[in-house]
Amino acid sequence: MKLVNFLILRITLFFTIVMLFWSAVYFFLQMKEIHDGNDEGLTNLKQEFIAKANATPGFVAALKDNAPLNLIIKEITQEEAESVIENFATTKVYFATELEKEEVRMLTTAFRCAQDGKYYRLQCFTSTVESDDLIKNMLYLLLGLWVALALTVVIVSKAVISRTNKPFSQLLDRLKKFRLDDSRMIDLPSTQIQEYVQLNKSVKELLEKNIHVFTEQKQFIENTSHELQTPLAIVIAKMEALLEKHQDSKEYAEEIDGLLYILNRMRRLNSNLLLLSKIKNKQFAEATTVNLRHVLDSVIVDFEDLAAYKQISIEKKGDASPVIQMNEDLACILCANLVKNAIAYNEQNGKIIIRYTPAAITIANSGNSAIKDVFNRYQSEKSSGLGLSIVKSIIELYNIGISYRFESGLHHFEIKLA
Amino acid sequence: MKILIIEDEYALLKTVEDFLLAEKYVVEKATDYYSAMEKVMIYNYDCILVDISLPGGSGLEILRAMKKENKTGNIIIISAKNSLDDKISGLDMGADDYLTKPFHLPELHARIKAVLRRKQHGGKQILTLGNSSVDFVQRQVHIEDKLLKLNRKEFDMLAFFVTNKNRLITKEILAEHVWGDNINLADNFDFVYSQVKNLRKKLKETKSDITIENVYGIGYKVTT
Repeated sequence: MKLVNFLILRITLFFTIVMLFWSAVYFFLQMKEIHDGNDEGLTNLKQEFIAKANATPGFVAALKDNAPLNLIIKEITQEEAESVIENFATTKVYFATELEKEEVRMLTTAFRCAQDGKYYRLQCFTSTVESDDLIKNMLYLLLGLWVALALTVVIVSKAVISRTNKPFSQLLDRLKKFRLDDSRMIDLPSTQIQEYVQLNKSVKELLEKNIHVFTEQKQFIENTSHELQTPLAIVIAKMEALLEKHQDSKEYAEEIDGLLYILNRMRRLNSNLLLLSKIKNKQFAEATTVNLRHVLDSVIVDFEDLAAYKQISIEKKGDASPVIQMNEDLACILCANLVKNAIAYNEQNGKIIIRYTPAAITIANSGNSAIKDVFNRYQSEKSSGLGLSIVKSIIELYNIGISYRFESGLHHFEIKLA
Repeated sequence: MKILIIEDEYALLKTVEDFLLAEKYVVEKATDYYSAMEKVMIYNYDCILVDISLPGGSGLEILRAMKKENKTGNIIIISAKNSLDDKISGLDMGADDYLTKPFHLPELHARIKAVLRRKQHGGKQILTLGNSSVDFVQRQVHIEDKLLKLNRKEFDMLAFFVTNKNRLITKEILAEHVWGDNINLADNFDFVYSQVKNLRKKLKETKSDITIENVYGIGYKVTT
């Protein structure tokens, strides 16, 4: 959920609850005010009536038969009178003119008339605001108010937040595009807001530090593997000379050969590491138009003896000759590593199918089950284990796409050029 | 044949020197830029092995100076730098080959031989071993005037063996020379074995004097 929407949702929710609460309070206060007014009128009427009834002989009797419409007088016993508690009530009375029951405010009380000493129950009422009408009207009004307010809140907050957050979202966009191996600092959006200024500053420091460490590390790896070349050269040359010297002794020769095997593995690992860091440090310039079909064909020639020995058939499909702008040596390295991989991880009597289309080359080889995270498979029994990492870094350097999938018993590596 | 080695790493220099002395070359040494410059300007060599990073200057500077003086000397660059830029500029400046450290001594020997061969214009380059002769220019092998049919890789193998005659060539060195560094896989030892077996069979069938001796399963040695 977007920050803007999140905030607006929260504000609106809170707003609604407050409005609801205040609407209820307002409604009840309003009703109370109305009833208080009515009740006061009714109390006055009652007092006037009782005073008049006490003072005027025959007043009650006359009124009993000819009571005004808002008075109901009934003679009751003393016990009944004593049990009547004066109260106000909201109730309904039938009005013939209206043909329906209307809501009224009614005062019920009992008194003893001084004139005849009898007890009466007096009910006087006055019509009042109908509470459901009031609720309805208030609801409409409040609803209108809510909608208007909510809309205002949504629009205003959206506009304000979006505008305020612009530097933030710009920063986010640029951070998303940031790549450490690019070693290029992103443009930080300019802003006046203090928090964002601080955020920019922190991001800047963090990125610069990372770029620095990363570059240093890359350089370190390259320098180290470069520096290792000469000592390795000396040891290997000396070992070879030693092997030459001791070739009459089987025991020595085999021992030295074993050492040489390990040294050569080290040499290959080191030169692959060097190659990898050179690619990552972008030290291969000069992109030319390379026909990948030609490159791959010449690579296959180098490997066909080995493939034949392992009884792996190599089949080519499609007539397309895909071309790409890249360094030719890297194109060779890319193809060689893919073919080498296809042979190394194949099975006896296996096959390799290379399919050319104008926009893609697929190298498929038989083998057992799918491999997870194939491009980061560093450890390997069969080679330096850096082959596919080299492939990956070349692919990344030229923004080519590569995908791996395991389908119908074949490992597919697809290079997408478009 | 006189060879100059320009290399600042003494241990490596010594090993290469010993190896080349054993191959009956006359070897001169230089360990820094100035002494190297002096030597190449004064004397003539059949082949010069030059390291690029030297104390006092770059090996490429030596090449540039030699080119300016119109001195050619069958130059092979030996460098720890695998960088293609160096390789290209080195070859542009008149170097004949480029070998990356670390390298195998038999490989260096094959390169030296190839460079020396290339510079002998017109002259036939035929190595005769008993009843067999290997023509490096035509890439053909004759056994008592009868042509032995070999495919490209088989010829490469045989040429490498006879160039490094009487030397122990390990399977790894052979595989790298013939099939390139790319080929390297753990199971390529059996692969090399089968390839050599085929070559050996062909030599045997034609009664060639070249025999490829198997040395404890480590490698091979050609004797006549």
